[in-house]
Amino acid sequence: MTQERFISLVRAEQEPLRRFLLALCSGNAALADDIAQDALVRAYVASGSFLGLSKFSTWLFRIAYNCYIDHSRKARPEQAPVEEALNLAGSDASDKAFRYQQLYLALDKLPEKEKAAIALFYFEDRSIKEISAILGMPQGTVKYELSMGRQHLKQHIQL
Amino acid sequence: MKEIDDFLRENKPQVKDNPTFILEAQQRMEEVEGIRAEVERQHRHGRRALIIALAAGLSLGVLATAVAFLYPVDASTLSQGVGQSVLLFLETWRQYLLLPVALMGIALGLLLFSRKKV
Repeated sequence: MTQERFISLVRAEQEPLRRFLLALCSGNAALADDIAQDALVRAYVASGSFLGLSKFSTWLFRIAYNCYIDHSRKARPEQAPVEEALNLAGSDASDKAFRYQQLYLALDKLPEKEKAAIALFYFEDRSIKEISAILGMPQGTVKYELSMGRQHLKQHIQL
Repeated sequence: MKEIDDFLRENKPQVKDNPTFILEAQQRMEEVEGIRAEVERQHRHGRRALIIALAAGLSLGVLATAVAFLYPVDASTLSQGVGQSVLLFLETWRQYLLLPVALMGIALGLLLFSRKKV
């Protein structure tokens, strides 16, 4: 795959990819973008091995998820992910900002697999089959993670 | 669960516009290309050096074998000295000289006709 082709594919996927990582990073946009950049480099290096058996976006999201997992294993206690959400609420005390604050705080408390399943299903409108391919787990497990994620979120979000 | 479903669908995280995102990615890809080119260059360099070494070894081996078989010497007539020692060595081991020569030939052939993997 040429660099131009890769960039054109990435250009179409950059917003969903960054949003997915933003959800995984519980609202920490700078960290999400850093991980997205790492993921793109990894994907570019491995682009020769992309056979087109799955969609490009599925393949890219899988790499991004693995990058996120690697990063979270390396630097677990370092982040204060809720900070940005709090800043958002401080600068603009709208209802929307409050809801984002709640969302990010709640997402931060979820285990990684649940968080990823929730982000892909609700924020990226991915099918269970696609989520299964991205997270590398059976479809039944994805449904279980989604169910557990919803239950956990309900405990942390005031509706 | 309906409420949480609705809440999540209505509050998708919003990414801020980052016009430099793709540019940064492109820059990193250029760096990757630079590293790839350097690795390829070193690989080519090493391959060339190996081919030259094997070709030189093969030529010398063929020469030594030819000398050993075409000009046999009588070991009892040889005196001391480096040149004499070499002749004595070739005379003693001449039946085995073809083995390393053949091995070098095979290695050279494999190296020349195998696909470059970088």
